[in-house]
Amino acid sequence: MKWRRWLRAIHRDIGYILTGLTVIYSVSGIAVNHVDQWNPNYIIEKKTTILKLDNKDKSSTQSLVNAIMYKSGEDEILKNSFRPDSNSIKLFTEKHNITYNITSEELTKEEIKGRPFIKESNYLHLNTPKKIWTYVADAFAFGLIFLAVSGLFMVKGRNGMKWRGTWLTIAGILIPILFLLLYYY
Amino acid sequence: MKKICAVLIFVLLSTLLVSAGQKEYGKKITLKDKTKISVILNNPDKFLNKKVLVEGTILAVCDKRGCWMEISSDKEAQKIKIKVKDGEIVFPMTGIGKKALVEGEVQKISITKDDAIKQAKHEAEERKTKFDPSSITGPVTYYQIKGLGAVITE
Repeated sequence: MKWRRWLRAIHRDIGYILTGLTVIYSVSGIAVNHVDQWNPNYIIEKKTTILKLDNKDKSSTQSLVNAIMYKSGEDEILKNSFRPDSNSIKLFTEKHNITYNITSEELTKEEIKGRPFIKESNYLHLNTPKKIWTYVADAFAFGLIFLAVSGLFMVKGRNGMKWRGTWLTIAGILIPILFLLLYYY
Repeated sequence: MKKICAVLIFVLLSTLLVSAGQKEYGKKITLKDKTKISVILNNPDKFLNKKVLVEGTILAVCDKRGCWMEISSDKEAQKIKIKVKDGEIVFPMTGIGKKALVEGEVQKISITKDDAIKQAKHEAEERKTKFDPSSITGPVTYYQIKGLGAVITE
């Protein structure tokens, strides 16, 4: 039938257009699905060591900053520092967030890096940019609905909605219903 | 087709260049005059529900959703939390250590002892730090800023 040929052509082209977005949304979907097990946006590396400082180093905030930078071998440029309390200090360099506990002499260097591709995918998937992206995402969702519905009518006969297609579609619909019955109701 | 690709690449590169240096989050900042965080914390009730513009170094960011950040005061050992509605603004963890200019409303939060323990436990889990429930002995009142817009500078 002529309409089926048209449907296939439109389904194919919309499929091509949505390939990139589908990959982005799927990758991000998996990433944020496991937010309790990992940080979907950042790789956080922490390393704790002991840094011995003498009393002269600890005599003022400035001498503390200088000593930590020099004695910990930090070669990045210092951006900011902060004293959260009298017993600790935080130093922020280009690459590291350094926390030093004066009493325990524990020095923690933290490096935060964005997860390549996944962070960007989450940014788009979770609609962080908002603005026009909201409508792009809406169009993508409508595109997926079209692909799902048009996909039902791509194949004729027993492999289509006359037999196989109907049963597999029902099975697919039953999956969320089953989990709603298990967890929601 | 080649022209369309060229235009797209140009737009992408321009966006990257513009966004380098400083980045805006949420609504545009409207206030001109900054208020020192120490001034707010010295008399918070005076600023309650009022819009303020504050500046400080980003000390911590919510690592799960970027829904809050803490910024340093102009005085040592003082900081204030900037809280935003989940998803409305997402603060980046890579912003830690950078300067933030934030516009928002000062809020007073009063919570029961049980809620304070739950909140502190949750925050300790997020920061992967130790928490002793006995450190909270009663209901807690604190002040934070409901963030409306922010500019983070490299």
